[in-house]
Amino acid sequence: MTLLEALQQFVTECNQNERLREMNRDWSRRIQLEPDDTQHLHWLVSDEGLVSAGEGPVDNPDMLIQAPEEILTAIFSGEMTPTEPYNAGDLLVRGQQDDIMRLDILTLLIWGE
Amino acid sequence: MKEIVSVSLGSRHRDHESQMTLMGETVHVARRGSDGDLDRARDMIRALDGTVDALGLGGIDRYLVVRNRRYEIQDAVRMASEARKTPVVDGSGIKNTLERTIVEELHADGTIHRDQHVLMVSAMDRFGMAESFDALGYQLVAGDLIFSSHINYPIRTVDELDELARKLLPEVTQMPFHHLYPVGDAQTGDSDPRYRHYFEEADIIAGDFHYIRRYMPESLEGKIIITNTTTEGDVALLAAKGVQTLVTTTPVVDGRSYGTNVIEAALVAVTGLTAESPGWSDAVHATGLHGTVLRL
Repeated sequence: MTLLEALQQFVTECNQNERLREMNRDWSRRIQLEPDDTQHLHWLVSDEGLVSAGEGPVDNPDMLIQAPEEILTAIFSGEMTPTEPYNAGDLLVRGQQDDIMRLDILTLLIWGE
Repeated sequence: MKEIVSVSLGSRHRDHESQMTLMGETVHVARRGSDGDLDRARDMIRALDGTVDALGLGGIDRYLVVRNRRYEIQDAVRMASEARKTPVVDGSGIKNTLERTIVEELHADGTIHRDQHVLMVSAMDRFGMAESFDALGYQLVAGDLIFSSHINYPIRTVDELDELARKLLPEVTQMPFHHLYPVGDAQTGDSDPRYRHYFEEADIIAGDFHYIRRYMPESLEGKIIITNTTTEGDVALLAAKGVQTLVTTTPVVDGRSYGTNVIEAALVAVTGLTAESPGWSDAVHATGLHGTVLRL
């Protein structure tokens, strides 16, 4: 699976989940994903709870997520939780703490248990 | 006399010393804050190990008990592991017993009634209390996601609370604790009324006092507050906001209601039992410890 495929799967899970849409109804953010090995940029955007994704740069990102592309793919496809690479120093996230926590919670609610 | 110390991630401004009598035994209680510095808290626990009868972990939970599952916060494990000789407790052994029964007692004596709406600012750390409200038929909103993560999503049933705990807590408990809960000076941050409507819609506001203090609106006219770790200053603040009744789930001594970790540490020091011991629940009830109801 490529990073783009993982992000598209993540987007589908978010947008089809009524509870997640309610949680994110007041959350509009631009997130830049920057694989620190391939430099192949991707983006995630939440617009009042509706999430989209794509390749390339995004203007004025609110969050920057850096990790090897394989780890980013694993996180957004649910094969790995963000905690493990974060605690190991393989995942760097820049942004507001609330936004970082929310993204963690979204991935756990989609893929957790 | 027994000696216990509560080592807290909270502010040093709330440090104090006092004495309580438990089952006929005098217990000297000291509270030592570390201003949110985990390493400093670990140093304090290491230095106190073997010198006191029991240690409490303040400003942090070690165990979150939700239904039949127990989740362990890793930063609390790191703190507790600094003690090799002295038992270390976090208050969960009290929350799961005293706080569960206090709701039943308040309901039985008419202090609260089931047509009142309940806001628990956090419930994953007080699941016993949430279950009691639910079992008695109260309409409950749990604000765990709202107040800890600013995700504006009220949890309305204990079943959903349990489901979210199963999905979130195995990972969230591995994260640095300051990502989950205000520590040190963050506990005394500015008032933030953005979620005021949850308070306004509730008749009973229960749970962690740091969350209540930070997010409460200007007026709490006629509300019932169920919490603990309040000081005389906190009581005056709540009275000024029009709170009708303040229920502390732990006893008030010298104007201060102790944290559950302090009560559990005192009980461990006096009885030699721990929350894992058979008969712990009976021991808690045998102490005659009960909360305090203050009409303000």
